[in-house]
Amino acid sequence: MAQCVLHKMAAENSFSNEKLEAVLNIAEIYSYAPIKAALNFGFLVRLDYIIFLEKHNETVVDVRTEELDEIYINQCDISHMNAFLYLPLRKLDTGELLVAAADPFDEKLLTSLVIKFKCKIKLVAASDLDITWLGHKLRGGFFVKEAVFSLMKTHPESSALITFTDAQLYFIFGSIALIFIFIIIFFKPTFIAINLLSSLFFLFSILFKLYLALTGSKSELHSVVSKSEIKGVNELTLPVYTILLPVYKEDKLIRKLIWNLRSLDYPKAKLDVKLLIEEDDDKTLNAVRNLDFPANFEVIVVPFHMPKTKPKACNYGLYFSRGEYLAIYDAEDVPDSDQLKKVVCQFRKLPEEFVVLQGALNYFNKNENLLTRMFTLEYSYWFDYMLSGLETLDVPIPLGGTSNHFKLAKLIELGAWDPFNVTEDADLGLRVFDSGLKVGVVNSTTLEEANNEFFNWIRQRSRWIKGYMQTYLVHMRNPARLIRQVGWRGFFGFNFFIGGTSFTFLLYPILLAFFAIYMIFKFAFIRSIFPDWVLYISIFNFVAGNVLMIYVNMLAVFKRRYYELILFAILNPIYWLMHSRAAYMGLWQLITKPFYWEKTNHGLSKLSSTSAVVTPE
Amino acid sequence: MNRFIEKYINGFLAIVLLVFYLVLSWVLHRTGYEHPESVFIAEKIKILFDSNENNLVTLGTTFPTIVFLASVIFTPFGYLFAPILASIAFTVMLFYTLLKDFKETSKLPDFVYIPLVSLLFFLHPGLIYAAISGRGVAAILIFFYYLFRSLFRYYRTQTTFYLSMASIYLTCLVFCDFNFIWLLLAFFPFIVLVSLEGLKINKEQAPVAQYFESINNTSQRRKLTNRAVAIYIILFLLPLGALLLFGYLNATHAGTSTYFLYSQYANWHVLGNHPFGEVVGNLAKGSNSAFQSQILFQFYVFFLTPLLFLTFFYFRGKLYELFTLIAPFILIAILIINCQFYFLIEYYLIFLVLALVGLSFYAAKKFTKKATWFIFFIFGLLNVFTGIYYFKKSDDPDERKFFGIIRDYKYWLKVKGNTEDFDVAQYIASIADINNKVLVDDAAAFQIVAHLKSLEGIELPINKSFGTIVENPMSGVKYMCVAKFENRLKTFTVLNSYNLGIMEAKGQFVTEMVYQTDNWAVYRLYPLEE
Repeated sequence: MAQCVLHKMAAENSFSNEKLEAVLNIAEIYSYAPIKAALNFGFLVRLDYIIFLEKHNETVVDVRTEELDEIYINQCDISHMNAFLYLPLRKLDTGELLVAAADPFDEKLLTSLVIKFKCKIKLVAASDLDITWLGHKLRGGFFVKEAVFSLMKTHPESSALITFTDAQLYFIFGSIALIFIFIIIFFKPTFIAINLLSSLFFLFSILFKLYLALTGSKSELHSVVSKSEIKGVNELTLPVYTILLPVYKEDKLIRKLIWNLRSLDYPKAKLDVKLLIEEDDDKTLNAVRNLDFPANFEVIVVPFHMPKTKPKACNYGLYFSRGEYLAIYDAEDVPDSDQLKKVVCQFRKLPEEFVVLQGALNYFNKNENLLTRMFTLEYSYWFDYMLSGLETLDVPIPLGGTSNHFKLAKLIELGAWDPFNVTEDADLGLRVFDSGLKVGVVNSTTLEEANNEFFNWIRQRSRWIKGYMQTYLVHMRNPARLIRQVGWRGFFGFNFFIGGTSFTFLLYPILLAFFAIYMIFKFAFIRSIFPDWVLYISIFNFVAGNVLMIYVNMLAVFKRRYYELILFAILNPIYWLMHSRAAYMGLWQLITKPFYWEKTNHGLSKLSSTSAVVTPE
Repeated sequence: MNRFIEKYINGFLAIVLLVFYLVLSWVLHRTGYEHPESVFIAEKIKILFDSNENNLVTLGTTFPTIVFLASVIFTPFGYLFAPILASIAFTVMLFYTLLKDFKETSKLPDFVYIPLVSLLFFLHPGLIYAAISGRGVAAILIFFYYLFRSLFRYYRTQTTFYLSMASIYLTCLVFCDFNFIWLLLAFFPFIVLVSLEGLKINKEQAPVAQYFESINNTSQRRKLTNRAVAIYIILFLLPLGALLLFGYLNATHAGTSTYFLYSQYANWHVLGNHPFGEVVGNLAKGSNSAFQSQILFQFYVFFLTPLLFLTFFYFRGKLYELFTLIAPFILIAILIINCQFYFLIEYYLIFLVLALVGLSFYAAKKFTKKATWFIFFIFGLLNVFTGIYYFKKSDDPDERKFFGIIRDYKYWLKVKGNTEDFDVAQYIASIADINNKVLVDDAAAFQIVAHLKSLEGIELPINKSFGTIVENPMSGVKYMCVAKFENRLKTFTVLNSYNLGIMEAKGQFVTEMVYQTDNWAVYRLYPLEE
């Protein structure tokens, strides 16, 4: 049996035999080097390992500063380098090939390298993280290009690389021109028509949301997977589950992340967790390096390539994923501990066409300030009612940013995420629907950190709204085809839910301004432009719309029993104004820099996610 | 075959009931019976469709809105028949829903509840009145039913869905009868109890001990307050928001936010509610008004609705559900203080509906099948008799008139009778044209306007020129329809005999009475020179 450093450690009682057995078992399952399994599945602390190596006179080289002959690296496959944690450096004067390896005692690796390079090999110890970093940087080029352009090549009609098609530009400018012509020729009727259409659209989109919320609230009655079913799951039958954790400069959250992952009720050996770190993100990498307890994730370094977006990182991560199912979480997420088991049970019960399940999102810092309270109101209604409503009505579901659980094979078939779309998740949800497959909702919650800082919130929201606009434009390139694919109900739902959301936010301040001017000044001018009946309908639509929106927000927190938040729903009109501010910012960016990813800062909350009570429903 | 019957029996019975109501309404109409509320709605629909001015005010301020809008749907069948069809539709819907709910939730055998519900809807005079009078009673009953059904379903499932549905139905109910907004207070005990129920700790202990613990624990108390407020808001935000909006629109377009409540042009109840003083002054010969005081009213309701005893029997030990059943009694107590008018049948019938909704939920097995059938049927039959008793003792002239016609079947065969308003309308129609306009104030004369074939040649308050013409009648009309001194509604209109004298005195015209009935007179106007 080939020996490795872990055997040495076990012999010296630095590593227990039970652990060794478990590690070797994992290494076997994943075809990893044992050291990789030990470091990435929570068996070994990196710092302890380095100390052990140094104690055995193994110099740990810094591969980043070592002289490198790329001829040897180019002969290596990134997947193999990543799995066995080695990096060929250069030929020595002695004729030996110097190879940096995380485990310089790995006999199996040594043998395979001798066969591969047909020369003597000298293994030197190096940090597994540095090997990973350099390996991906130098050899990840192909995969990263694939991650960026694969969708564009296979499904060009679904890629947001082109923001506005020619036809869409003709339509937009044509409409604007037409409106101007009508304003010049029929000033008053045109204004009346615009006003009526806008206010009717506003009311209708909110009525639609109310309808969705009511439909969704019925789903409280059904629980697809019961607690006893989860208890009764045979862990041996559970598949490998990949979790992708795309991060960027989230060094402060790494400890929290490990804590949250530990709380997941899923066999440790079957959790294939990938922390996706950007090439230039040394902060996060060093945070992982300096951990003083075992990490339970594998680091994947995403080589630099524009656009620097989360979907690109996720797409890259896919090439190294081993699971049957795949979930996406953010670094600060606290999923219900039984979420993964629940998803597996639900997938097993649902028809084959269900390829994605969306978990509910909510916040652990909901009472931190006004913004987090409003955010909680919004999310509660969105994830607890709206998505269930969409699912019940069989209307395309835009996926939320995290807690999406996919069947990995289907995800790859679909072309994965669009790196040019800044709400790639929403877009993917629609593409699933386009392909005749289904998105479901899982009754399990992931707690996140609510954005608690105004400008940070605006940036985040502007990205979301911009992404919704992008998604809308992409899928409306060929409305006839969309109708054929998703049916009239899906088409209608898509227009009101995806298109309508952004449009309502853009419209809101205009309607509010008209209403305020009329209320405060009773301007004769407004009365002269709009006859009484138009004003009647507009006021009705606007006020009814706002009241209903407040109401819908109240409903959701009621379900969550956040009773203390219910009155804050009254502030929804102000919250909508903030949305409008973000919507205009998003619109501007859609035109000027469509792929720009407004980074949201996490870890601003003073409240700890560990204080949040995670109660599986 | 049996399965086929089981599947379609409810629908079949509903159709039979529909036909039954249609025939009865035709008979009633033939005898000349018209309820003023029904005619009021019909007149508003007529103005909405036949007049070219201020349609928005008619559409946007006529109250009860739900009853009005539901009647608009049936306009193709004729303005006068539309409100009746609407109320028939509501009643049949209630009948069908009840049968369906009994089947789905009560688990009672078909032969127990079908005879009970059918007996009531076919023979209870109150429900027949609700269906064919064309009033808003049926709309009140159905939304009242839906409201309480949603609340009971909420208790069972604890899902927000049913609470929000209750809120929507409550909004509809308020827009059928504004007085139901006082459920805001009436629901207080039940909301507190529901909140308590949700917060109880140590569920093994006796309920009193649980409540004691909940209330004496600071954190639990805070939760209790939050939950109670939350339920209140969820339940009442929609009705209050809707009223606020409606009030605002009234203020913008009719000048005052309470226009829909207090204007005789918008709300029949302004004209139709009989103040207590009027009733005591022997409005009719009944004695129901004697029971319309605190405590007595509630006892009288129990007397009139024996089924309530059965419902309360089934609800033993279900504390907060019992409080839900008590809420309408509290509502009545509030209304007695707040409204100084004679309560019409809707305030009694809601208790019959309450009894039925309660039974449909909790009438589980307590007796043998045969005994259950017997008890239910006997109580149902008693309810029919007490319904008849109610009408015999009603102090409302329209209710008594209705009952008189229904009871006296020989009267049905007589030749169709015309109402006084119909006759006046016929006369006005014969003289009015574009050159001979007639000034009519539909505040009091709405029944006349409703019977007009067309509004051509009629000057109504809805017309922008009405104010000017009232100031100077000769400028726009040749005739004037005036409420005589004997007319009960004379104080609601500017065109009454008292004002006519003033108008003559200050205007340059003299009048000649060309037509009159007991309550109305039509005058021709002549300039002074003639």
